[in-house]
Amino acid sequence: MDGTPALQTHELTKVYGEGETAVHALDGVSLGIERGEMAAIMGPSGSGKSTLLHLLGALDSPSSGQIMLAGRRYDGLGDGELTRLRREKIGFVFQFFNLLPSLTAEENVLLPALIAGRRDEEMRRRTRELLGRVGLAERAGHLPGELSGGEQQRVSIARALLTEPEIVLADEPTGNLDTRSSGDVLLLLRELNESEGQTLVVVSHDPAVAATAGRVVFLRDGRLAGEVAGGSTDRVVRALAELDPQAT
Amino acid sequence: MRSFGSLAFRQVRARRLRSLLTIAGIVLGVAMILGVLLLTATIHRTFNDLFDSVYGRTDLVVSGVGGDGVRHSTLAEVRRTPGVEMAEGVVFSIFTLVDRSGAASSDAAQQLNVAGESARAAELADARTVAGRRPHHGLEVDLQRSWADANQIDLGDRVRLATPAGVKRLRVVGLFQFSSGLDFGGQGFATMPLGPARRVMDRPRVWDEVDLVVSGGEETISRVQDDLRHRLPEGVQVETPGQKSADVESQLQGFNAILYFFAAMALFVGGFLIFNSFNMTVFQRTREIGMLRTLGAGRWRITGSVLREAALLGVLGASIGLGLGVVLALGLIELMRTLDFPVGKLSFTPFAPVAALATGLITAVLGALYPARRAGRTSPIRAVLGTEGLRAKLRPRRAVAGAALIPPGLAGAFWLGAADETTTIVAAAGMLGTLAIFFGIAMVAPFVIRPLVRALSWPFRRLFPVEGRLAADAARSDPGRTAATATALMVGLALVVAVNSLGSSFLRTISDEFDRSFARDLTVQPHGFVPGQGPQQTIAKGLRDRLALIPEAKVVARERFLFTTDLPGSPKKKGSDGLLLGFDPAQYEQVDQTDVEGGSRAQVFARMERGWVTIGRGWADETGLGVGDPITLRGPSGTRRTRVAGVVDTVVFGGQTVSMSLSTMRGAYGVTADSELALKATSAAARPTLRRRVERIVNRDYPNLAVLSNEELKSKVEDQVNQQFGIFYAIVGVAIFASLFGIVNTLTMSVIERTREIGVLRALGASRWQVRRSIADESLVIGLIGALLGIAVGTGLGYALLEGLSSGIPGVEYRPPLSTMVYVGLAGIVLGLVASILPARRAARLDVIRAISYE
Repeated sequence: MDGTPALQTHELTKVYGEGETAVHALDGVSLGIERGEMAAIMGPSGSGKSTLLHLLGALDSPSSGQIMLAGRRYDGLGDGELTRLRREKIGFVFQFFNLLPSLTAEENVLLPALIAGRRDEEMRRRTRELLGRVGLAERAGHLPGELSGGEQQRVSIARALLTEPEIVLADEPTGNLDTRSSGDVLLLLRELNESEGQTLVVVSHDPAVAATAGRVVFLRDGRLAGEVAGGSTDRVVRALAELDPQAT
Repeated sequence: MRSFGSLAFRQVRARRLRSLLTIAGIVLGVAMILGVLLLTATIHRTFNDLFDSVYGRTDLVVSGVGGDGVRHSTLAEVRRTPGVEMAEGVVFSIFTLVDRSGAASSDAAQQLNVAGESARAAELADARTVAGRRPHHGLEVDLQRSWADANQIDLGDRVRLATPAGVKRLRVVGLFQFSSGLDFGGQGFATMPLGPARRVMDRPRVWDEVDLVVSGGEETISRVQDDLRHRLPEGVQVETPGQKSADVESQLQGFNAILYFFAAMALFVGGFLIFNSFNMTVFQRTREIGMLRTLGAGRWRITGSVLREAALLGVLGASIGLGLGVVLALGLIELMRTLDFPVGKLSFTPFAPVAALATGLITAVLGALYPARRAGRTSPIRAVLGTEGLRAKLRPRRAVAGAALIPPGLAGAFWLGAADETTTIVAAAGMLGTLAIFFGIAMVAPFVIRPLVRALSWPFRRLFPVEGRLAADAARSDPGRTAATATALMVGLALVVAVNSLGSSFLRTISDEFDRSFARDLTVQPHGFVPGQGPQQTIAKGLRDRLALIPEAKVVARERFLFTTDLPGSPKKKGSDGLLLGFDPAQYEQVDQTDVEGGSRAQVFARMERGWVTIGRGWADETGLGVGDPITLRGPSGTRRTRVAGVVDTVVFGGQTVSMSLSTMRGAYGVTADSELALKATSAAARPTLRRRVERIVNRDYPNLAVLSNEELKSKVEDQVNQQFGIFYAIVGVAIFASLFGIVNTLTMSVIERTREIGVLRALGASRWQVRRSIADESLVIGLIGALLGIAVGTGLGYALLEGLSSGIPGVEYRPPLSTMVYVGLAGIVLGLVASILPARRAARLDVIRAISYE
């Protein structure tokens, strides 16, 4: 492997609207995520963390600045190329799981392969493997409606991993889960990062979630506002307090 | 918002696209109703104008039953009758304009209705000479000015016209105008002096009509009418112009009823679309309605609000439909004219738009009734729960009720087919029957949707595992909605299949009969010949003998047709329409091989020579007449008592025929002109020469006639039948078009419901194209279900109608219109694809970020 970071942004800016009413949702963010890193992005609502995630995830295009995945720029690409990028290089984990209700757990995991037109045995094998990896081998044939929230999120993590993406982006992955399931899901994400070297970016406003990551990046008013090492919830909370004294 | 009541108005405004899609059905349905109402009003007006113009001052008209001539002595008899102030005899014929190249077409605009009459008879019509003078001697005519103008004929011109005596040059000495401004579908009117008219029309000793004026008012008219009916032969009818006009109207009643039937079906589809759309909207608004309920809105307020919204849409749709209806009426009138049916300029009645508006409004409210009730029953807890677990459970009771509706529906259709005449009651029964079938299917459909979707989506799921699967799931997720959408499409397609199975079964039967019974090689007949009511074009007197001189002609047989409203043998005095056929039995035997019951063909034809008659199978079944039974021919020239020589296996005119020798026909009915000539060549090898020689004579001297081989005759009949069905297809087409909007509506709804799902797919790397295809697949599945149901129901309906028909017309067999079924299937696919264009584009363009955060 070469030394290029998994994700790299340079002066990334996203402006909504024009002239007087223009809103700078993201204002010159330069950030690098190394291969094998697990990073958390934190910030209050309106800080631009969702916008940043959407840009990183190739769901949206920046107004200016550069953004690179494994050294290849994808700012300014058309819809077709962005779609392809999402399909091949990026995995998503959503707050509301977003499993298709009519597909079984196994089919949901297999979905990205089907979208890509791959129906080979290799993918099916990998699907079963991933379901085992997230501890749901027994529940493969169940519909999402028959699974608990935690189980659904684990299915969606397996889905995100199917195409062996360069990076997995998780948007408030525990935002819709109870404490126990949250713990399971966070543990799973951590393990994936530590034992398999999966690059992960987690967006959350919960210090406990962010602390799971090796590195926590703070965002405020569309700009980077500092970062601390992860691992300790206390440290994250303190960093937050320094950043925004009124909030605590 | 000023009051709760105006919530409905807000809803319509807030959902413009939905509202537009919802009312599309009403717009088209109302347009169709108005179009048909205006068409029938225009037809009514055309004939009223005709009778007003032609009969002006005339109090009574004496004519043969079905419009054939009365004896020459009738005029004197009428003049002798007390109370008759003035009476004039008239002869009629239809001439065809011959163009410079010597050709004549069957186009209505080149047909001229010519009356031969004395100078005094002009006083009886309501016409005014506007240029030149009245014709008084020789080959002179005066023409209706509008027709002369349309054909660029000027005063003083000599026009070439194909007449029963061959092509004649007539000098235009005058132009006249009817005060009603009569427009008879482009056909023109003319008069000629009596003597020359008798020669060129070949009507030497008969009157087609005797028109008279009485001295006195209404009472005298009815007294003279009674008196004349006693004095004149039984086959003569004496009617006021008003009664004559009413006769025509009643002839048209069946046709009108069928038009209304199809228009009602178009409106039914409209109502169905309203129903489906409101069902979807109410479902989508569950949370909102629940909220209104928590705020204290009662059931009736909610129901009322939904109904108000429907009423609003109904009025809106009906108003747009009115404008479109005028356009449709113009189109229908054009269509009728191409069928050579005389229709004048579009005429308005105040009743038509009011009726159309009212039907539109009522249909919209009826369609929304069930969804409105459902909305009213929404529980306040729905404000919290939303639509969770709300998908209507399928109630088997409903399927049973639906299935129970179908047999009586088919019975209604059977009755419609079996009835002799399409009276209003029969048409209503047929309509109710058809509606019952459609309702029944609509109720059963949700139960068969799941398996159908599974089967039909199989190829899509194989080809595109993701899109196909999602499409199938979407179609299955709300079987009620998919069923309703497909059912709306089914209605139109089923009617196409049913109408077509009638047409094709009939055509095949006729064509088979031609194959079986035709021993002729060629037929000579006027262009555009269709046996029917009123004066007919005939064949010039000397032609038969000229053709008989051709060495290759073995037989040239005359055929004379007379449409009558009093087919002999009926136990009822009047009212049975049918066709009288006259031919020379000895000659005809050689060109015809129709099976005859009652002895050998030679025996039967020998009996006919003696004055006996044969009757068609359908008529025999209806009257119970058999071989040897006495039968009375009541014609305007005399009454003859004779016997039935045989029963003929024919489906021509539904078997409602009576055939006789030429002399019998002349004696009883006064018919002296040939309608058609049937030729047989001396050998098969001589056929081409015969045809060439016949064509040379006909093309040079009789351009209004056509020479047809048996194959050509068959395809001509086929074309005529297809053209006549064309107008019904046009109306059904509107219903199908309306159902297209229904599919669009449902798909739009489906896209809204699947927003989140689509967003996820896009985030996971699905291309716009894949999203688009998923919507298209759902649309295709709906289209195919509609087509399949349409084929199934149409087949059932067509079979029931035809079984009914064949109870009156033995020999007609049901034949499935296979090629039409294939076309209907293809139509389902095409409609599905077309309907999906906009919703699919909308789905493909959904903003991914918003879609994944959509609740």
